Amino acid sequence: MSRGVPQGRPRTSRAWAGLGARHLVLGITAAIMLFPIVLTVSTALKTPGDVKVNPFGLFTSFSTANIESAWTTGDFSSYVLNSFLLSVPSTALVVVLSTLGGYAFARLPFPGRDLAFYLVVVGLLVPFFTYMIPLYFQLRGMGLLDSLVGTNLVLASTGLSFGTFFMRAFYSDLPTELEQAARMDGASEWQIFLRVMLPLTTSAVGALAVFTFLQNWNNFLVPLLYIPSGEYRPLTTGLYLFLGGRSVDIGPLAAGTLITILPVLVLFVTMQRQVTQGFLSGAVKG
Amino acid sequence: MSGPAPAATVAPPPAPAPRRRGRRAPSYAYVAPPATRRAQRRLGIVFVLPLVAMVAVFLLLPMASAVYYVFVDFNGINPQPPFVGLANITEVFGDPEVYDALWNNVIWIVIGTLAPLLLGLGLALLLTQVRRGSVFYRTVFFVPFVLPQVAVGVVWGWIYAPSRGWLNNVLEAVGLDAFTTGWLGNPDTALYAVLATAVWSQVGFVFVIFLSALRNVDVDLVDAARLDGANGAQRLRHVVLPQIMPVLLMVFTITLLGGFSVFDIIFVMTGGGPAGATEVLGTYAYSSAFQLNRISYGTTLALLITVMAIPFAVWLNRLQRRTSLEGGAT
Repeated sequence: MSRGVPQGRPRTSRAWAGLGARHLVLGITAAIMLFPIVLTVSTALKTPGDVKVNPFGLFTSFSTANIESAWTTGDFSSYVLNSFLLSVPSTALVVVLSTLGGYAFARLPFPGRDLAFYLVVVGLLVPFFTYMIPLYFQLRGMGLLDSLVGTNLVLASTGLSFGTFFMRAFYSDLPTELEQAARMDGASEWQIFLRVMLPLTTSAVGALAVFTFLQNWNNFLVPLLYIPSGEYRPLTTGLYLFLGGRSVDIGPLAAGTLITILPVLVLFVTMQRQVTQGFLSGAVKG
Repeated sequence: MSGPAPAATVAPPPAPAPRRRGRRAPSYAYVAPPATRRAQRRLGIVFVLPLVAMVAVFLLLPMASAVYYVFVDFNGINPQPPFVGLANITEVFGDPEVYDALWNNVIWIVIGTLAPLLLGLGLALLLTQVRRGSVFYRTVFFVPFVLPQVAVGVVWGWIYAPSRGWLNNVLEAVGLDAFTTGWLGNPDTALYAVLATAVWSQVGFVFVIFLSALRNVDVDLVDAARLDGANGAQRLRHVVLPQIMPVLLMVFTITLLGGFSVFDIIFVMTGGGPAGATEVLGTYAYSSAFQLNRISYGTTLALLITVMAIPFAVWLNRLQRRTSLEGGAT
């Protein structure tokens, strides 16, 4: 049985015209999708004088002055560092805990398994909004407000429900014969996980890692709420702060925007397949 | 990436894990020897313990506190807030600002769900009919979705700028000067301007999901319909759409539930203004709690969002399960 909407070479001139029309619509859409990014790059790389005269126009001059001023006086250098310090540990935490948990929920019978699973996936049902305010006071009480540790733990916990659900689906799909064969050969339960099962799901683990990293890097509300003093302010809230003095400094603002989206764009373009596949299997399975 | 985040607000999961085509689901028909069962039990508990601990402290505990906050009057300082019963809840129902915000939420949910759905489906259908450049189009359409909403808000702010903004420039260039306005500063246009930005950033996500659903459509059925004389629209309506129905409902659920908890893009672009024109429950809850120090009232508003979203989640999930049982493609 063949799958997918049929494709074929157009045979008539009418069919060729149809193909041209399709490319026209797709091309215009692509231009609309790309335009804001082009605008960011062009505004960021103009000379500050040119930005004053012609704030939103496309390239007419070239200079790195805006980037330099965002990097130094705009403090974007420290925001970049903070963004990494807030996304890398939280992502690692989500990936490790979700993989272990997903495996246990899928393959290891233990008492209280169903109850524990439902408790973990409650996070898929209840939006962050519901508990964000009490969480602020809870973190304050724990001394974790304005801290890298506290913010990382919150970022990780918002991703755990999805991550566990996602990994459990993958581990559920693996055939039982594999672990039985390994057990016959004398492998311990830990060895079965580490040597047999984990290697079979590395692509899922990778997709989860990329997906979670993007989520955490882009997260705005969590650092906005839980880093009130701004000591470890990441790019997202840093850019928002910069926006406060809008209309004045469009050049450095564009440069700051470029600095904020550049890592995301690089990661996305290099890992394009994994990102879309990850989103896809996540959404379809989830 | 936030807004209708796929991860945060997905419908409730069905108890058994969904199967992938052609793979076998695990069965525990094989009875492991007691020693193995003991080892599995031990490893299972060790694997799940840190996960459950984190979820308990950072999800379940604050959720329980949220419910407690509704029934007291907490100002963020008083360690022993007075019990007020249902006062917060009755105040919500008597607050005209809540109704205005709710109305904006409704507009947001209706347009913000339907527009990406239709555009995403249309683009996906178009792309299945071209070969050249499909990887390029796919990548480009998806880019806005991975960008942080703050950055998206900044750039669209320039497009909407009252003087020399791109949108007004284009309107002037084509002689539609009468329609130029300060898009984000005008109460009549602000909500729709922000909404258009949100649609721009969401459509790629919907598109990619539909694209993969269309790949799984049974071509033989489409061809058979063509031979029976069905035209393009009929083939779409009676052959293609029923097959992608489960996916359509899933996308519908994600965007709909995302619409309830919209925050980032509005907060960044207008902050709820001008004059409350873009205020939604999310921004109102935030400003009540953190700007007016009305912690309990803000929490009550946030809970209201959840309580309203849950029936939709349950209903859609039931619908989705029924359609997939009827044998659609995944």
